[in-house]
Amino acid sequence: MTPANKLMREILGLLLLSSILAIGAQSLLPNGIGVRTKTIIIQTDSSSIELPAVTVDPTDSVTEAGSISLQAAYAAYQDSAAIFLDARGLEDYVQGHIAGAISLPAHAFMDSVDLLDDYAADQMIITYCDGIECNASLDLAANLKLMDFSKIFYFFGGWQEWQTAGYPIESGQN
Amino acid sequence: MNPTSGHTGNSKGTVLLRLLAIGLGLLFVYASLDKLWNPGLFAKAISNYRLLPLPLLHLSAIILPWLELICGLALAFNCYPRAANLILGVLLIVFTLAIISAMVRGLDFNCGCFNVATAESNLGLQKLAENIGLILVSGLLEFNFDEIVISS
Repeated sequence: MTPANKLMREILGLLLLSSILAIGAQSLLPNGIGVRTKTIIIQTDSSSIELPAVTVDPTDSVTEAGSISLQAAYAAYQDSAAIFLDARGLEDYVQGHIAGAISLPAHAFMDSVDLLDDYAADQMIITYCDGIECNASLDLAANLKLMDFSKIFYFFGGWQEWQTAGYPIESGQN
Repeated sequence: MNPTSGHTGNSKGTVLLRLLAIGLGLLFVYASLDKLWNPGLFAKAISNYRLLPLPLLHLSAIILPWLELICGLALAFNCYPRAANLILGVLLIVFTLAIISAMVRGLDFNCGCFNVATAESNLGLQKLAENIGLILVSGLLEFNFDEIVISS
């Protein structure tokens, strides 16, 4: 056997061994996942988007967070029925955000989560980020679910859709 | 010592290369552990890159950590080290290209390189430099394998 053939056989052997162990281990691991990707369909006002379910629910142990359309989010805004949480970075928030929204960057969740101490667990919360290109609103919604908030919605159209609709916005830091 | 290499295998350079191989191998073993335990979170980390089609997402999240573990152990313990180093080198190049792609598109998230349970963003030039350094180590090993392979 030539050295190249030997090397190729070794590579294939390592790949095969890893694959067998990987797939076999999923049934034994407490956090194991299936080989097939679960997806969720999110309907925005303008389009339908398919996302990996792990974005919202990595372990299947979290109760679901629901998506909310622009119209429903605006209705909740008008009725003051929900608080809006801006999941983007603080810099984006300062430049402009939904009027009255609270900045709670998804990437610094634990640093800012104290802001929600005064809210009841059944407080309606709507998370949003820039728009359909970002996942921060979903991440924030999943984290809030883990903290036992029960009425969490992610507004997938986000800042871009809200701004385009001409709904109330403001800039600066509250 | 590799009897065909003509080297004694006792030089300081050989020892250094062997230590680099062990270090690189153990680093990948360490990097695999959190992903092995949390494949769902690792799938989420991969999905942040927005590069893989959905059907490949879970499969990648399941197999990549085990590939890192097995190849890391193989390299560290000198079992099929050249094959292991080649696989790890290719993985490093793919990971680095993915990070560059994310940075170019302005994405900002945890790269999922070592710890997948945190949301703290760590993409940036430092992460890029780390990866390029590891690629150089892997390349150095690849081009000097006759020096470090210990024949059984």
